[in-house]
Amino acid sequence: MIHLALFLPLVAGVVLMLAPGLGRALALVASGATFVLSLALLVRYPGEGLAYNFQTPLLEPAGVYYAVGLDGASLFLWLAVSLVVLLAVWLCRVPGRFLALALMMETGLLGIFAATDLVLFYVFFEATLIPSLVMLGLFGGKERMKALYTFALFTLAGSLPMLASVLAVRYLGGSPSFLLSDLLAHPLEGSAVGLVFLGFALAFTVKTPLFPLHAWLPSFHAENHSSGLADAMGTLYKVGVFAFFRWAMPLLPQGFAELQGLLLLLAAFTALYGAWVAFAAKDWKRLLAYGGVSHMGLAALGLFSGTQEGMVGALFLLAASMVYTSGLFLFAGMVGERTGGLELNRVGGLAKSAPALSVLGLFLVMAMVGLPGLSGFPGEFLALLGAYKASPWLTLLGFSAVIAAAAYALTAYQSVFHQHETRAARDLEAREQVFAASMVASMLLLGLYPRLFTELLEPAAKQLVLLLGGGS
Amino acid sequence: MPESILLPLTITLPALGFALLGLFGKQLKEPLPGVIASGLVLGSFLLGVLMLLQGGARWQVENWLPGIPFSLLLDNLSGLMVMIVAGVGFLIHVYAIGYMHKDAGYSRFFAYFNLFIAMMLTLVLADSYPVMFIGWEGVGLASYLLIGFWYHDRVNADSARKAFIVNRIGDLGFLLGMAVLWAVFGSLSVSGLKQQIEASQALSSLLPLAGLLLFLGAIGKSAQVPLMVWLPDAMAGPTPVSALIHAATMVTAGVYLLARSGFIYVNTPDVSLLIALVGLATAVYGALSAFGQWDIKRIVAYSTVSQLGYMFLAAGVGAYGVAIFHVLTHAFFKALLFLSSGSVIHALGGEQDIRRMGGMKKHLPQTHIHGLVGALALGGLPLLSGFWSKDAILTASFEYGFPLYLGALAVALLTALYSMRWYVSVFLGQYRGQAHPHESPPVMLWPNHLLALGALLIGFVGLPQPFPNLIQPFLAKATGLEAPHQPNMGLEWTLIVVSAVVAAAGLYLGWQIFQRTTFPRWFIRFQHASLRSFYADELYNSLLVNPLKSMASLLFGADGGLLAGYQGVARMVGSLGASLARLETGYLRLYVAGLLLAAALMILLGVFR
Repeated sequence: MIHLALFLPLVAGVVLMLAPGLGRALALVASGATFVLSLALLVRYPGEGLAYNFQTPLLEPAGVYYAVGLDGASLFLWLAVSLVVLLAVWLCRVPGRFLALALMMETGLLGIFAATDLVLFYVFFEATLIPSLVMLGLFGGKERMKALYTFALFTLAGSLPMLASVLAVRYLGGSPSFLLSDLLAHPLEGSAVGLVFLGFALAFTVKTPLFPLHAWLPSFHAENHSSGLADAMGTLYKVGVFAFFRWAMPLLPQGFAELQGLLLLLAAFTALYGAWVAFAAKDWKRLLAYGGVSHMGLAALGLFSGTQEGMVGALFLLAASMVYTSGLFLFAGMVGERTGGLELNRVGGLAKSAPALSVLGLFLVMAMVGLPGLSGFPGEFLALLGAYKASPWLTLLGFSAVIAAAAYALTAYQSVFHQHETRAARDLEAREQVFAASMVASMLLLGLYPRLFTELLEPAAKQLVLLLGGGS
Repeated sequence: MPESILLPLTITLPALGFALLGLFGKQLKEPLPGVIASGLVLGSFLLGVLMLLQGGARWQVENWLPGIPFSLLLDNLSGLMVMIVAGVGFLIHVYAIGYMHKDAGYSRFFAYFNLFIAMMLTLVLADSYPVMFIGWEGVGLASYLLIGFWYHDRVNADSARKAFIVNRIGDLGFLLGMAVLWAVFGSLSVSGLKQQIEASQALSSLLPLAGLLLFLGAIGKSAQVPLMVWLPDAMAGPTPVSALIHAATMVTAGVYLLARSGFIYVNTPDVSLLIALVGLATAVYGALSAFGQWDIKRIVAYSTVSQLGYMFLAAGVGAYGVAIFHVLTHAFFKALLFLSSGSVIHALGGEQDIRRMGGMKKHLPQTHIHGLVGALALGGLPLLSGFWSKDAILTASFEYGFPLYLGALAVALLTALYSMRWYVSVFLGQYRGQAHPHESPPVMLWPNHLLALGALLIGFVGLPQPFPNLIQPFLAKATGLEAPHQPNMGLEWTLIVVSAVVAAAGLYLGWQIFQRTTFPRWFIRFQHASLRSFYADELYNSLLVNPLKSMASLLFGADGGLLAGYQGVARMVGSLGASLARLETGYLRLYVAGLLLAAALMILLGVFR
């Protein structure tokens, strides 16, 4: 079942690429089935540890395996990814090839979370880049080639050191293979640890993203297609937090310890910086890009605290923000479709003619602001509790972002939906209503009953706390 | 205390109303949305009464967040708050059925109103700080939606946003306060922490910090100095909103937080002193700012700021029960003042400037009585509700320290003066406008009758000795904190007489003075500064808001520059990438060679570091 869920989107994507005429129907079936399968895997999950394990050698002599498995953390992320892809495919009226690329990317993303072999992980991590680049290149805006170039270079700059680290972590540690379990059993020690960790950290920081390696993100979003589909997929690709959690931190606890201070500082700074800069943004895409950066800063702050609650919070926030941030990009696409552009000062007073659209926007914006009762809060709050234990001052610095978040989010919302009505816009049609209802339901579920998912994350986080050397 | 499913139901009823009216409100004909909304709040009220009679209730879901239960508790303290929130809330809901008549957003209004009640009930019934925080921010959201209810007007939308953002500053304090408590005690359950702290021998040195941070939250929500700037602007919302949220209930949440957390503050005398000082400063500031306002609602709004300061003063000196007593009386007379203001505004077709009012005594006889009772209760006329609770605060601060008492007494005088200014300008003299005033319909008058009755009588639950005081022992059962020791009866009655004389003198003077039409120069100048609320907004804008905004633009520009800065590096890496791409030939041995090379490099770097 796990393989089916993993590769169904890819197969469907390839078919769709060859026969784009099949379009939305095929994409819907494939992404719908993937979501249902993810849900089924979640329901049947035993509660802790890696389940659905499967491994078979790919390159026997090199110790490379096709090895996959899912624990609570990756299952939660699977669910988030497959939900977002399903909803995005449902919502967006875009060419079949565009959908095909999104489906291919889905397999890459699911693979990133499921891989239990480091080389396999690396392959998924890098391969996902390809459809993302093609999407930008084929369907992007005027300056897309520049954005594409930037995105590719940042990713590459991170990947090369990471490749070296991938090799180093196995050969220096003396592990017989690249399997996660083998690597964990042969921990790397000594003076190289910090450097090896740094190799991972560079790649993962680009994809978290953290300041100053976030610089590719604003233009990536600004230049991507106005429907928001590519942005949603890009949001799902921000897997840095998970990658630190699954690979870099457990494999190199010492290396993490050496860099923890710096990483906490970067995370806290990113959180505040992103929110602050977002306030000056003039269009939806950049606003959401910087807002998203800020959120990942908060998540990273929780993760790097090395505490259980902090890490549960980080993963929760990661998954929850994948859903609502993607939702916001798609929502911005809906606004843009009605008003002909994404500038924030383009229209005003939309709430009057499009009340349902404005309600959807308010829910999404409030989730982003971290309003308790919606999905943004539990993760943010747990990250805060953990981060405080690691560093009260950096927590104060980073979490000042919650004030800034209210400022940028409400200011943007107000200028588009409130104030004087400059033009009327049609309200949600049936297709969009389904999207809106699903989004709101997911935000309420995560926000009101977080236990459903925090219980999935806890065992995984507990394990890492032990690896990091105790229960601080 | 028995587990009771009625407890979450109390919250669910209005929440249901929010969902129903939000989804299907448009299909319902006026006044159905209003009736449904009011009925649900009444339901919550009755459930509250029932549980209070049963001696309280609790309910919880374990591990709502890891190690943090979703827990609710109805004891005497939260029970009384439920009575206020749902009781006064119900009356204001009914009033709004008339007030919002023919508004385009009729059902939307009641949806928000029910959302507010649901969140406020969550706030007061919470037995764990994060759950309280749900309500805390939830009422903030409802307040945001209702201040900006007529959002097409830029000013209203701006005021709503300002309220939310300023509150967020306090909320950050609340969040960090919870983080401190969690780090020190490993729990965020209110009653759990209470037990832990009461049982512990040596208290953590971080307790004052936790107390201070929670207090910061209270400052924001209750519009205390220096975060008071949002409340007067919040009057942009429809008047029932001002009455319910920005007078009777939500803004008292800060006081409730302090009373609920009394077990922390009794152990942190320095923080408590700070609370008392902030409270007194706010009381003075609010009272002085009330004198210069021309907007009928803004006068009452500043009086709310001032009265909230009184409540904080009481909490600061350790008289938590007294603070809550003042919350109770204030809920009645302040809701009454707002709703009678609303009736006047309604009668004058939306007019809010008191310079174009006057003479309403003749035109609106019933509303006149309501306004008079409200103003006298606020001004502290002996025997009315405001008198008893204010007197209890004065007595408590006298016990704590004479300077505080003196300050509080001065505020009492100011309060009496400006409440008469409000009354005289609106109701006495000749009508100075052009509208055709008409008395409100019964659906608006009846709530005010009941509120007026409360404003007259509710103070009798908290009489000084030798009379029986009902409310203090009732609340002490929940807080576990006895009121600070009683002064001897002679002293207490001396203080009562002093405060009665001050209030009566203030009321008489105010009644005399504000019927005049000319004022001395210094008063005009003072009034000018008071109208601008002593330039607090200007100060914030030039010192904080504008610099932060410019900094945002600056950073935004710099962030673009950051990318340009990478260009040079990028070109280098790019050429490296291109040459590497050429290596992708498919020959395994080349790959392996590359891998080995990289590994060798890592090892070398590791060894020679």
